[in-house]
Amino acid sequence: MSLIERWMSRFSLEQLKMTLWRTAYGNKDTFLSRLDPRVLLIWYVFFTVSPWFFYDRTVLVALFAVSLTLALTSRVSGLILFLMGVSTFMNLVYIGVLALFLGGSGDAFLALITLTLKLLIMGLASVAVFTSIDPEKLSDALLALRLPAPFSFGISYGYRMIPILVEQYQDVFASYRMRGCPPARKGILSWRIGYYFCKICVLAFYPTLLNTAKRVRTTVEALEMRGFTYTLVSGDARRLKLSRMSIRPIDGIFCGLSILYVAAAVWAGHQLAL
Amino acid sequence: MKQTHNIMVFVLSMAVFGLSDLVTELIPDVSIGPVEIGIPYFGFVGLILVMLFNPLYAALGASFGELVFGDLLMGDFGGIGEIDGFLVLFIGLWIAGLLVKNPSNRKMIAIAGMIGIGLDQFMSGALDVMKVGFGVADLEAVEGLPESIVILELIENGVEWLVAGILFGIIPAIYMVPRMYGKIEPLMGIRPREPRDVTIGGAVGRLALVAVIVLAFAAVFAYMSEVMDGTGEWAPDFVDQFGQSFIWIGIGIAAVVALIVILLSRRNKPTGGTSISRHV
Amino acid sequence: MSDIRLSPGSVNPQAAVEILGATFRYPGADRASLDGMDFRVERGGFTAVIGSNGSGKSSLCKALTGLIPHYYSGDLEGSVKVAGVETQSSSVSQLAYRIGYVCQDFENQLVRPTVWEETIFAPMNFGHADYEERATRILERLGIFHLKDRFIWQLSGGQKHITAIAAALSLEPDIIIVDEPAAELDPFHAESIYALLKQLNEREGKTIIVIEHHTEWVAKYCRDVVLLSGGKTVWHKPVAEALSNVEELQAHQIYPPQVTQIAHSLDVGRLEERYPITLEEGITYLRNVGVRAPTNNAEMPASPASEGEVLMRYDNVGYVYPTLDKKGHCVFDKLSLSIRAGDRVAIVGGNGAGKTTLLRMMTGLVKPQQGELSLAGKPLRKMSPEQTAGQVSYVYQKPENMFICDNIRDDIAYFQKARRTDIAEKLTEQLMSRLHLNELKDRDGRLLSGGQQRRASLAIGLSMRPKLLLLDEPTASLDVVSRKETIGMLEKIGDTIEAVVVATHDMQLVAEWANRVLVMHHGKLVADVSPSELFSNEAGWSSWGLMAPQVVELSLGLGWKQAALSPERFLEQARSNRTEIAEVNQVVSY
Repeated sequence: MSLIERWMSRFSLEQLKMTLWRTAYGNKDTFLSRLDPRVLLIWYVFFTVSPWFFYDRTVLVALFAVSLTLALTSRVSGLILFLMGVSTFMNLVYIGVLALFLGGSGDAFLALITLTLKLLIMGLASVAVFTSIDPEKLSDALLALRLPAPFSFGISYGYRMIPILVEQYQDVFASYRMRGCPPARKGILSWRIGYYFCKICVLAFYPTLLNTAKRVRTTVEALEMRGFTYTLVSGDARRLKLSRMSIRPIDGIFCGLSILYVAAAVWAGHQLAL
Repeated sequence: MKQTHNIMVFVLSMAVFGLSDLVTELIPDVSIGPVEIGIPYFGFVGLILVMLFNPLYAALGASFGELVFGDLLMGDFGGIGEIDGFLVLFIGLWIAGLLVKNPSNRKMIAIAGMIGIGLDQFMSGALDVMKVGFGVADLEAVEGLPESIVILELIENGVEWLVAGILFGIIPAIYMVPRMYGKIEPLMGIRPREPRDVTIGGAVGRLALVAVIVLAFAAVFAYMSEVMDGTGEWAPDFVDQFGQSFIWIGIGIAAVVALIVILLSRRNKPTGGTSISRHV
Repeated sequence: MSDIRLSPGSVNPQAAVEILGATFRYPGADRASLDGMDFRVERGGFTAVIGSNGSGKSSLCKALTGLIPHYYSGDLEGSVKVAGVETQSSSVSQLAYRIGYVCQDFENQLVRPTVWEETIFAPMNFGHADYEERATRILERLGIFHLKDRFIWQLSGGQKHITAIAAALSLEPDIIIVDEPAAELDPFHAESIYALLKQLNEREGKTIIVIEHHTEWVAKYCRDVVLLSGGKTVWHKPVAEALSNVEELQAHQIYPPQVTQIAHSLDVGRLEERYPITLEEGITYLRNVGVRAPTNNAEMPASPASEGEVLMRYDNVGYVYPTLDKKGHCVFDKLSLSIRAGDRVAIVGGNGAGKTTLLRMMTGLVKPQQGELSLAGKPLRKMSPEQTAGQVSYVYQKPENMFICDNIRDDIAYFQKARRTDIAEKLTEQLMSRLHLNELKDRDGRLLSGGQQRRASLAIGLSMRPKLLLLDEPTASLDVVSRKETIGMLEKIGDTIEAVVVATHDMQLVAEWANRVLVMHHGKLVADVSPSELFSNEAGWSSWGLMAPQVVELSLGLGWKQAALSPERFLEQARSNRTEIAEVNQVVSY
């Protein structure tokens, strides 16, 4: 079996569906999920933006340690962390080698480590936060932070519709397969098989678009009857959602500790540098 | 009335483009050394949506769908790191949609598609270079680094443009857009788009297009020349400010343009949810 | 805008809904969907709306909810009043307080991820601070409070439907319209929905309007019936009188309950004004007219063991569906069976019994995790769907997912063209004329009516010239005429076909068409029998969660040992006994 054929045999929408279900609907009981979603979001923004203003590696390592801990204690899958690590490392190597080739020295590596750390802090923190936060809570928090209502609705709608949409695509895809005819000759590296599959992937969107259009019409009619357009203007739903959220001591403690930690890291960085 | 149609377009784009993004995640990437060749997204899905419906809402929906379905629900969401991606994809698709006046004109579809996806790729490459500049304290001090990064980004985004913009972009779009034109709209209970629908927006769009291209070019060229000619004596805080301003200029321009146009198009609409449904 | 928050109920105590001379045409449509319709339902009524496709039923629903004329542009003439409010001068949101609507395609009406979010959605949007109490109250009343944190996709079809009703009730409207409550559900779930509607009607005085094809439900639950045709109301009558108009109903492509059909056929002289409409009435009526069990009824014909060649064999096949908790849900385990040429198999069982998985496995789309599956002696495990396609073809429950071309003509030709065979043209022509698709050939499959879609999807399945044809719920959500038509199609299906396997909830289809029934229950094959064996074993089918067609219950209720499977068979059997005929004739001629 050639490489392409092996891929094709692994091309399973069923698998995709399961991954989705596990990440999207799995248990969200982690430390971060206990915080108020708005506080968490704001904390997150500072935590991922701030590394870009530090060039001191001590501080960056300290921040990295926090985001790694958070990622490990949240329910991020090991595979995702592993892939993230590998791809970051490989990028580092490639750029470094290319820089050497273009007449640079080993300094390039060192310079890049700073960048890599920043990217990793951001990546890990994002994964930790967004796998902990329930999409429904995220959408409420974004609404509270004045993101337009269609976006916050969109998140929870995606959350609701995705199993249906994937199943529909799967059925259409299977329709093409059951009625189609794979190429008789495989070609070099089985490229013809690869081409056949890619073509179905693309063509299957034609019926999918039309079917989804029909579906969406019913959905938007339902939205109309259930007052969604009314609330877009009146903002009632937002007010009610806001009144349900509350900032508790744990949120304050968490933010306070974060600030102290960063301050300590900056101080330590100075001490070490001196 | 109009508002509900826009919501319908937004929801449809989000759902279908999001789904297509999930499908591309399944197709494996080929890595040739540092350059990864994969399918970043199915450009044609986005192009179909922006060319057949209100480009603004379709482009917003599509880029938002990419965030929600492809990243957030898959547990692979980069948070702030995704915002620039969202903005450039939105601008690219939106402009592609504005450039098409007649969805049955294949030449128009091809040109608009290439420009739209090209813009997206160009801007995201430029942003990546800026990020490196901003993230590395003394980039110019490291021999060979700036050049290698620019080269890598050029190759990568060039390839992505070929894949998402041509192979999985305009080629399927040329085939599907004219076939769907006039066919998908009745399923949703809306009127097919007419050339006059995009004229006002088109003017603004072209302005925005020119603005974005010029500014982006200017930014990158200015930046590149500074980096290339740099003597290595920059104080870190200067680089700091320099890089910072550029990232934020890039994002800022995009955001401001988007905001202005959204505001402009809002002004033409009646306000009030229930009153809207009365103005049929 | 403050009047939106008005609580309902302060209006005309008489009519819940009143339409006078309503006329509406969708923009671009060539004929009016509502054409001078008059329609009135009293407060606290339980009314069924019947009519063939295109009679204006769904436009009626849209007019009552205000979607016409506020959402669909076009001119609405005449007056449409809901709870005393003229819809034209109101808005969709305001009307939502007066009328709740659950559409046929309710899956797409559920817009939130969980049951709880779905229920609080409307009260929250309208700014009711007590949305939590409202939602709790409704979920408790509908008996689904324990499901509140479930995701919608985790629910069964019936639970989803109840959730859609809960959402429609969340603003406490006095009127509820439900479009085809029984269409997508198995009979048990359909029964529970009707029981719920009845409870809402009787205990809370809600006005219920249902659109319904299945007159057996109408007879059991509704009080009056409105017949629509061509956008107009034909009549509005009390239920017994309405359903006794057998001939007129049939002229409008509606079939009265099986007991009514039987009583009507027995009443040769057309002397009676009113026929029995429910099972109980039917038993009493037929006892009174003297219909008794045929004399030779005790003998059970041996199940017709097919001797044909084995097409498909399952050997200890097991399949576990992956679930969130990684344990997996066992769909079936150690399943062995074979399907032979000449078989007309119906696979039955409740939702989630593994019927669809069983079918899909035969196409090679789903691979067994244990055991072996062979197609005409060759192991299926190594075959791709493309390879099985020439021998097995699978017709989906949702025909939409089979329409991959612009028009159904291309769809039918697709398979043969992809294989570059020279019969493509001829076969397509032949199939189109046999399945009466010639006038529809240039239309997109998605835009056809339910029955036409089903015919088109059948033609697509047949275009593959398979030996084994697999059909998933071929009669789901069809009106009765389209159902009859589809069953008729199955009778005289293609020349290459050696066996047909159908997965279905539709027991009339099982009774009238199959020669073999496989009952799946809790992941096991619990019965492999003929339909008459199945339906004569009441203890069996009721414990497996099945419901028999009315005529079966009727014959069992009359004390027959062997159930009649269709009204025609019932009449034949009743007449095969000479004394019976005499008595019947006597009754008829007095």
